[in-house]
Amino acid sequence: MAFCTGCSLLCDDIEVDFEGGKIGRTMNLCRKGRGHYDSLCVDRLAPTVDGSEVGIDDAVSKAAEVLAGAENLLLFGWGNSTLAAQKVGVEMAKKLGCVIDDPSSYSQGLITETILKGELPTCTFDDVRNFADVSIYWGDDPSSSHPRHLSRFSYFPRGEKRQRGYEEDREAIVIDVRKSPTAEIAADGFFKIPPGGDGDFMGALMATLGGKIPKVEDKKKMLNLGTKLRKSKFGVIFTGLGLAHSVKGELDEFVSLVGKLNELTRFSVIPSLGDYNTRGFNQTLFDETGHVDRVSFKDGVNHGPEFGIAKYLDACDAVMVVGSDPAAVLPASLARKLAKIPMVAVNSHRTFTTDAAKVTVPIAVAGLEAGGSALRTDGVKVEFDAVVKSDYLPDVEVIERIMEAV
Amino acid sequence: MAGAKEVTVVTYRGIFQEVEEALGMYSDGYRDQSAIVSLDGGDIKELGVEDGQPVILETGSGKVVVAAKLSEDPHPGLAFMPSSPWSAQLVSGEVEESGFLDLKSFMAKVSLSPAKEAVTSIEEIAERIKAP
Repeated sequence: MAFCTGCSLLCDDIEVDFEGGKIGRTMNLCRKGRGHYDSLCVDRLAPTVDGSEVGIDDAVSKAAEVLAGAENLLLFGWGNSTLAAQKVGVEMAKKLGCVIDDPSSYSQGLITETILKGELPTCTFDDVRNFADVSIYWGDDPSSSHPRHLSRFSYFPRGEKRQRGYEEDREAIVIDVRKSPTAEIAADGFFKIPPGGDGDFMGALMATLGGKIPKVEDKKKMLNLGTKLRKSKFGVIFTGLGLAHSVKGELDEFVSLVGKLNELTRFSVIPSLGDYNTRGFNQTLFDETGHVDRVSFKDGVNHGPEFGIAKYLDACDAVMVVGSDPAAVLPASLARKLAKIPMVAVNSHRTFTTDAAKVTVPIAVAGLEAGGSALRTDGVKVEFDAVVKSDYLPDVEVIERIMEAV
Repeated sequence: MAGAKEVTVVTYRGIFQEVEEALGMYSDGYRDQSAIVSLDGGDIKELGVEDGQPVILETGSGKVVVAAKLSEDPHPGLAFMPSSPWSAQLVSGEVEESGFLDLKSFMAKVSLSPAKEAVTSIEEIAERIKAP
């Protein structure tokens, strides 16, 4: 069996045949996973310096030169890196006294950090499959982002105490601004809210759970939801970018709501994180510093918004991006700033970011060409082996070599 | 003004877009799944746009031409757009005090392209980013 590192579910039941170095027949891959596997032969990154192809050793040396010459260095990315590479990355940030950050600083970092601090209850996907009778997808569309979420864990499967699966034993609730593919599945369990309306929805649900009449248009539907949640034996809220961006870094109301639900029954929270090992990076940095992102090791350990990529681009004079493509995601004005900073990009594939980098260093695709370990989005550690031979170096080896050269 | 309208654009990730992204961002498939904006039936009629026709999306931060797509469900005043380098051209780079960067929703003017401009290419966006 092979693993899929196409998303943070890290599916472990993949069967794959290789035909002449290309992916042939596969079993159990979702559409997104098949795309990830097929990418093995598409747009692979070459070692380059200033756009010209060089040997890997020269690329590593030049990368080290760029990093060594910086006074305010940013190490960014890490969500598509193995745990071993992430650990070396954090060591490198300590050694060089620089800033380290990941895309969670503009996505679900606060939710993950609150879970790791123990301020939001969480559970594993195995708990969800075996015991959950209510799944709430809040600003989250796993049918698109984590395609096997509902079928493996949260809605369709039979579990220890959920033998009748979705037909009788499970409820799906979707709170979103858009009728997403997940909302289509939830049917009557879909609550459409306006953009930024999550706070009002939380307030109305809190009122309902407190026995008050909610101030919403469809009072009956909200009251029914309150009854459903009160009667549930074990519920789980899966959070997505929609919720993270709507609350804009203010999580108190959400924490209070989850607290209220736990006064009445049992509820947990699992973030649906994007990259396959975002949770791993967040945990690794949290274990070291007590924070999941935006950390500076310049004078001891410091944490704050000024060390997030969005603000730190104004201060930094070199950046190394590992397994991430911020140039494609960040607002154009910030992407332009990034492109003007001397940049080292470590990636398995060509991206917007690698195209703007001074130095590019290719790596193997974890889970296919290289083994390693990662944390699933629910925090469960998985270990995987390489399933195909490759000339590309594993990410941890490349990061180690760059660190040694620095 | 006929042929132009202010809408709130909300970004999202679509599975078909993610597949095309894995297979190469510089592909036509990725452009076709990313350089689109889903508009409400009433809004699309008001704009005089046909399904699939290029429209201009413009904010204080940038401008792109993408293909209009007719939504099956009504959502007047709201538009949905895959999160991509095209949407990133329109998002403000302003960082909130808390350091949070809102990449999820923004106000934009959607209008017909008078010169019938083609959909902005990924190469053009890459050039904009790398421009001195």
